[in-house]
Amino acid sequence: MFINFFYKLKEVGIPVTPTSFLMLQKALQKGLITTIDDFYTCARAILVKSERYFDLYDQVFAYHFEGVPIPDDKGFEIDEIARGMLDEWLQNPEKVADALGVDESELADLSPEELIEYFKKRLEEQTERHEGGNKWIGTGGTSPVGHSGYHPGGMRVGGESRNKSAVKVANERRYKDYSTRGPLTSASIGEALKRLRNMVPEGPKDQINIDETIKKTMKNGGEIELIFDRSMRDRLKVILAIDNGGWSMDPYISLVQTLFDYARAQFKELKVCFFHNTIYDYVWEDPSRYKKPMKVDDFTRLDPETRFIIVGDASMAPYELMAYDGSIHIRERSGKPSIERLRFIRDTFPHSVWLNPVAKEMWNYTQTIQAIAGIFPMFELSLDGLEGAVEYMRSTR
Amino acid sequence: MTKQPDTHPDFEGAHKYVLDSELASIVNISMSLEMPLLLKGEPGTGKTMLAHAISESLGMPLIVLNVKSSMKLVEALYQYDTLTRLNDSRFGDSKRDVSNIDEYIKMGKIGQAFRSDERTVLLIDEIDKADTDFQDDMLDVLDQMEFDIIETDRTVRAKHRPVIVITSNAKKDLSDPFLGRCNFHHIAFPDPKMMRKIIHVHFPSIDTKLAENTINAFYSMREIDGIEKKPATRELINWIRALDADPDFHAKDLIKGKLPYMGILFKKSQDYQRAREITSRRKLI
Repeated sequence: MFINFFYKLKEVGIPVTPTSFLMLQKALQKGLITTIDDFYTCARAILVKSERYFDLYDQVFAYHFEGVPIPDDKGFEIDEIARGMLDEWLQNPEKVADALGVDESELADLSPEELIEYFKKRLEEQTERHEGGNKWIGTGGTSPVGHSGYHPGGMRVGGESRNKSAVKVANERRYKDYSTRGPLTSASIGEALKRLRNMVPEGPKDQINIDETIKKTMKNGGEIELIFDRSMRDRLKVILAIDNGGWSMDPYISLVQTLFDYARAQFKELKVCFFHNTIYDYVWEDPSRYKKPMKVDDFTRLDPETRFIIVGDASMAPYELMAYDGSIHIRERSGKPSIERLRFIRDTFPHSVWLNPVAKEMWNYTQTIQAIAGIFPMFELSLDGLEGAVEYMRSTR
Repeated sequence: MTKQPDTHPDFEGAHKYVLDSELASIVNISMSLEMPLLLKGEPGTGKTMLAHAISESLGMPLIVLNVKSSMKLVEALYQYDTLTRLNDSRFGDSKRDVSNIDEYIKMGKIGQAFRSDERTVLLIDEIDKADTDFQDDMLDVLDQMEFDIIETDRTVRAKHRPVIVITSNAKKDLSDPFLGRCNFHHIAFPDPKMMRKIIHVHFPSIDTKLAENTINAFYSMREIDGIEKKPATRELINWIRALDADPDFHAKDLIKGKLPYMGILFKKSQDYQRAREITSRRKLI
């Protein structure tokens, strides 16, 4: 019963398993399901294991039992591809123009929105010609003319200014990467941070060592002597500094929060502090950056073995980093530019890294990222990046 | 829903727990199919409360296993008290028989649920805190309804299959084999209509005006963006309790934009400040 329904679910991409289908059959056989409403809820509870697919399930259900057509997701797909093409175009206009078989200077005048429209139109054409295949590359028969006349400086969406005109799109794209591809789920952070742990017996002697106790007791001729071991406790001290201010970090707050939650469980000694964009004279222990300031100068009193991990996008106006009065908080102006402060922290804690949620490919486009990467070893806030950061902090031990 | 003649009674909600019919039928079908029910949903949607409600309404004892991140499966099953045994063997002044290891085995929460003489509700709270191995191994045990005590080479078999409710805060994704063995339900945050019912269950004699105004204010405050921890049902109930207890407070104050005791709703200082700032600027209701 309902085999077609089951296969339709599978077809639209809900991970359903035959076992769960059999379970549904069992429920039907037992007479537990008598109405269509029962069937709706029970089949969902049994077959669909994540709320992410609830919406899709609803659609298939409506399609199967009421004949409501499943919305065509082709349009959506094309949107995605067009957006991908725009990104590609921003990286390398020449190649894209070449692939589309058009003169790239024709496209250079278009705004990002217009470009997306253009790409979409092209994609739709291509889809038709190729019977559903979305392969647009290499279809243009016409050879590109005048493509050697490419002048990045003169273009609106190329070279220097591209950061501004495409900033919206680029941001969206990066954010999407984190939610769908999900390089950093909390599970994987846990895995990566686990490797940071430096398991040396350091805790109180509160774990009984049975073998030793028995041995000692026998030696004592039956007089019990209890032998305690130190429980394994993490010796690692960690300071986690999180950039939690400003719109530029907004898309990453939740991501950083995951890391934060994990870090808290992972280490015994963990200080978390916050800053806005970059570090000047103070960091704060409260997320609102108001109540508990912590003097950067006081860092020298801490154990230099402390792992100092900064999480931030390192993206800001250059003067914020370089100028003597760069801080936007007036009382913080001690006359040292932030970049000096960062160097100071780096010198104080040799085991420090900077984790950047911005995708690595984008680093070269922001001046301040490059400057900060010159001070701290910088790693992408992805599983690979974390892996690298952990590896780095181990090797410099 | 047809009732099997020999099965348990149906679950229909409990004192102080408002149940929607969808969840009720899922609970009932999970009990009949003898499958664990996995509940996900944001904090404060009553995942844990559900298990309490099932236990209350069906009159089964509730056994709660609070999962911790460092927990090993064996701790949830049983514990072998070596120290007491060693002590007894030395001094011999207890009534326990030292040569009988069984006397030194203490049952963990899952073990207790298996050993119980009546059917129990076993709540495994916040499973996502533990690592994947723990989860998979535990499901094996719950699937087989038995486990071995290595020290005595004995098998503990469940006398009655407990009703198993597992909650997860979705911090981590659970593994596929794990999900395959559970029924799944995601509890959405209650809508205002449902919330009114919930409030009435908790405050049967509440002033309608007060209930209406607080619920409205509550939902508009949940919509403030940039709030890290949104207030949930628990916070609302406590807030109403506080407002109710304050003799100087009048329900119409809320409409004027006067919102006392916001610290009950927002537990993070940065959320609190943000909510303060925004509510003072615009009228909520």
